[in-house]
Amino acid sequence: MKISFIVNGENRSVEVDGNTPLLWVIRDGLDLKGTKFGCGKAACGACTIHVDGQAVRSCSYPVKMAEGKAITTIEGLSKDGQLHPVQQAWKEEVVPQCGYCQPGFMMATAAMLDKIPNPTDEDIDDNIINVCRCATYYRMRKAIHRAAVLNSENS
Amino acid sequence: MAKQKKVKKKGLKRRKFLKYSGAGIGLMLGGVWLARNPIRRKLFEVAETIIAPYQGNTSDPLMWMQVTPQNNIILHSSKVEMGQGSFTSLAQLVAEELEVEMDKIKVVHAETETGNTDGMGTGGSMSIATLWVPLRKLAATFREMLKLKAAEKMNLEPNALTLSNGVFSSGDQSMTFGEVVSGVEDWVIPDTPELKVRAQFKHIGQAIPRVDLHDKIVGAPIFGIDAEYPNMLHASVVRSRLIDAVMSNFDISEAENMPGVVKVIREDDFIGVVAQSHIEADNARRKIKVDYTPNQKWNLSDVKDKVTVGNGTKTVFQKEGKSVEDIDGEGEIMSLEFRSPIGAHAQMEPNGAVASYKDGKVEIKISTQTPQLTRDEVAKALGLAKENVNIIPTFLGGGFGRRLHTPNAVQAAKMSKIVGQPVKSFFDRKQEFQNDTFRPPTHHVMKAKISNDNKLLGLEHQFASGDTLFNSALDPGVASLVRADIGSIRGGSLIYDAIPNRSTYYHVDLPFATSFWRSLGLLANAFAIESFMDELALKTKQDPVQMRLNYIADKNPYGVRAKRVIEACAKKAGYTDELINGRAMGFASTIDSGSPCAHVAEVSIEEGEIKVHKVTVAFDCGIAVNPDQVKAQIEGCVCMGISASMFEKMNLKDNKLYPVNYGSYEMALMRNSPREIDIVLIEGANIPGPVGEPPLGPIGAAIGNAVRRLTGKRLTELPLSLT
Amino acid sequence: MKRIKEIYLMIGVLILVFTIGFANLDYYHNESALKADAVLEEPFDKMMAVLTHKRCVNCHPAGDTPLQGEDSHLHNFDVVRGEDDHGLAGYTCSTCHSNENNFYSGVPGAPHWAVAPREMAWEGKTRIEIAQQMMDPSRNGGRSHEDVMKHLTEHELVLWAWEPGVDDEGVPREKPPVSKEEYITAVKEWIASGAVIPAE
Repeated sequence: MKISFIVNGENRSVEVDGNTPLLWVIRDGLDLKGTKFGCGKAACGACTIHVDGQAVRSCSYPVKMAEGKAITTIEGLSKDGQLHPVQQAWKEEVVPQCGYCQPGFMMATAAMLDKIPNPTDEDIDDNIINVCRCATYYRMRKAIHRAAVLNSENS
Repeated sequence: MAKQKKVKKKGLKRRKFLKYSGAGIGLMLGGVWLARNPIRRKLFEVAETIIAPYQGNTSDPLMWMQVTPQNNIILHSSKVEMGQGSFTSLAQLVAEELEVEMDKIKVVHAETETGNTDGMGTGGSMSIATLWVPLRKLAATFREMLKLKAAEKMNLEPNALTLSNGVFSSGDQSMTFGEVVSGVEDWVIPDTPELKVRAQFKHIGQAIPRVDLHDKIVGAPIFGIDAEYPNMLHASVVRSRLIDAVMSNFDISEAENMPGVVKVIREDDFIGVVAQSHIEADNARRKIKVDYTPNQKWNLSDVKDKVTVGNGTKTVFQKEGKSVEDIDGEGEIMSLEFRSPIGAHAQMEPNGAVASYKDGKVEIKISTQTPQLTRDEVAKALGLAKENVNIIPTFLGGGFGRRLHTPNAVQAAKMSKIVGQPVKSFFDRKQEFQNDTFRPPTHHVMKAKISNDNKLLGLEHQFASGDTLFNSALDPGVASLVRADIGSIRGGSLIYDAIPNRSTYYHVDLPFATSFWRSLGLLANAFAIESFMDELALKTKQDPVQMRLNYIADKNPYGVRAKRVIEACAKKAGYTDELINGRAMGFASTIDSGSPCAHVAEVSIEEGEIKVHKVTVAFDCGIAVNPDQVKAQIEGCVCMGISASMFEKMNLKDNKLYPVNYGSYEMALMRNSPREIDIVLIEGANIPGPVGEPPLGPIGAAIGNAVRRLTGKRLTELPLSLT
Repeated sequence: MKRIKEIYLMIGVLILVFTIGFANLDYYHNESALKADAVLEEPFDKMMAVLTHKRCVNCHPAGDTPLQGEDSHLHNFDVVRGEDDHGLAGYTCSTCHSNENNFYSGVPGAPHWAVAPREMAWEGKTRIEIAQQMMDPSRNGGRSHEDVMKHLTEHELVLWAWEPGVDDEGVPREKPPVSKEEYITAVKEWIASGAVIPAE
């Protein structure tokens, strides 16, 4: 099955079984490795991407549903070499340890900030439910607040 | 990587043991006293005064450092980076002695074919501690080598040269490191110059941002699971879904005919499917039919019955004074039992390997904590000389002791050899949970004798656990020499040595694999000991903080440091036994691998659930090479410790280990992490000590002790729960 | 004459047995186990046997978190309905659930996947309470009997219960104890005969 979609602003198409999880099309078909496999069961969030601006766990999303849609991965979060405010904030707070789960968290955070530009600690607790085994949550919370500030400075 | 140059070794002596007075105790050597076996006793005596030495090359700078034509330094690290910040701190050591700015250094994982391998592997919070002197000496020696060669090329006296950020100058002449090394075939290795003293440090002690920060922000393909080769195939292997069961009657007929399958491989030790894509390999693997015949039925209650004090092989490993039952004088004996569950590593990146076998050689890209052992295992399994196996370690998506043993490398190598193409193979999350090398469950009996006037007269800790060491990195010969289960006894000895202290370990064999889990036995042991101490404080009407101070003897080599940490923590937290606004504080302290740590947890009960609002930590790791990264490790330990103490446990029914996924294996998430973590760093020694694990120790007991004050209930089982 | 009546009776019984048998064929192929002591004769009984089954009640929770799994535990990760019953800003239901079941992840899916509104909470209620709530226009979003019948027999989320997919270990989910066809027939019959709710 041929499926065509836009990935990080570029038109792409693949020839693959339509039920293949989008995660594997992204990682292996398109060679974008930033989106990670953590569980394959939509439990950990390491595979989080944006589909038409909404957060989606790509391990549980068949590629056939991506037809005609705009996909954003961690590689596409920065634009023209400029880090996205979430990435900038993550950098300032030195959040990552092993780093494996971080792209998923940044994508989930970016999606949340689109709708909640100034989240409280409680908003963050309720909305960010990905899994980080290194348990960098403490710095993530700081980075999310920082990202909200950077976002408002930009706009 | 520049191939090893011919060197004439001059004046550089190889040292077997590095002695530091008052230094931290190494991972495997817990400052303990073993009753019966004189060899074990000797090992542990020796251990009290040294850090386990770095087990690799410390004499050839060219094996570690490479200069690029652009005048940058590539540091080939034998220690792997799994989030603990080893790369960054090692780069700081090199930057210091090589006198370069940090942005000139790029750290990479040393491929085993460079010869720069580490016999111990990365773990035990030992990377910086063991390389503190050797790596700085290597860098200083390298600087000297470059200076002598520069002087030679510039036709000047060495001491006419000044050095600034990789450039030698004299008057209007200058030469970069890159120019110095260009074309050089023979190096003279000079005597190592004096190392910089504290006052001269420019990089060590600075909170420099992680060197791998950018890659981890932009999702660069740096992990084992990201690795590739041209013309690569994908594989998925069968793993047992039951413990202690024989697998038989493998039926691969349906699997062989699944779309995309290249070959179904049957070896003595595994069955795997190789296919064109990951999903196709995975789908086909699930079609392989297997019969399971349990050797014996196992449920969790059977394991708990087995892991009970009194069962198994007994070793008295701490014997300072009489056993509590034998202590003279009037008084009563107080006793409490504690338990901790089977713990899963649950590291985010699954285990796997990407292997390329060609013409009698194999190269493997893999997330491993033991590149040398991986190489040796692959060489042995494939009947190859070690030189024909090259392990390229990748950044690990979490280690925590899970990746000390890598049969996945052997599997991938064998599959690549058979299909004649590179093969990427990794486990799925269910396999990760069911075939983990777990943190073993424990059972503890704490005892104390209390005099009629509320003085502690003696303390005793008896506990039972299973293997943590045997299934991991060590050669069986070494394990059986030292015996007992060194991993499980970590943190198990008592530090309140102003009175008689005894610790006895009961070792049982478990029907599932176990290995190191971040801090090994410390988590469970500290929970039992520090909860008991708190209960004693309540019983004898002493302030829990003051009581710790009273009973840590001055003669204890870590006593001064521990007491300073305890006082600093209590002071910073404003520790009180009183409830404030519905919140209680709980105090606990440990000394692990020589790095004392104390926690005060501020806790309330909300809708029947334990909520940790704030944790105050005081920690003494000696010199903090990178204070920000030390803090990051503390924060991670606190939150991961909350996860293990309050949420995590594996279950077992009809030989099936479960849960098998995140979510159903409950873990702490963002909402469970404290809103405040206050850290006091204390430098109690003039060397850097272990950092990555010791701060895990006190958290379980600190929370339990707070809950005790809130509810009157003493929680004695992990994970902590009010239901 | 009596003989012919007997024959007609026998044929009638045979037809009855046959049709009931066929109607239940689908059910007998289901994975679900009809409880041995269940008495499901009346249309109301059949309808409520489905509506009180976990496949339905899991998404009609009393609280803000849906229920999950065969043991109806609180949905992992403390997901909540949010303001629009479709989740929160950081994740919506559709972050994980799509409009069809996912074989690879074991995540169930159907069009419009969401939690039933609070007004349609069924967890902890008796079948009589549920039926009363369901038929009361002041509590069911102003729906008439006809509207309710359409919802119960045509809505994708309702019909999903008979194709609930597999869980994260590939184990098929339990289906309701009555076949889809029999359930639809029962709903229509019950509505057509006046939607009478018994006393208990």
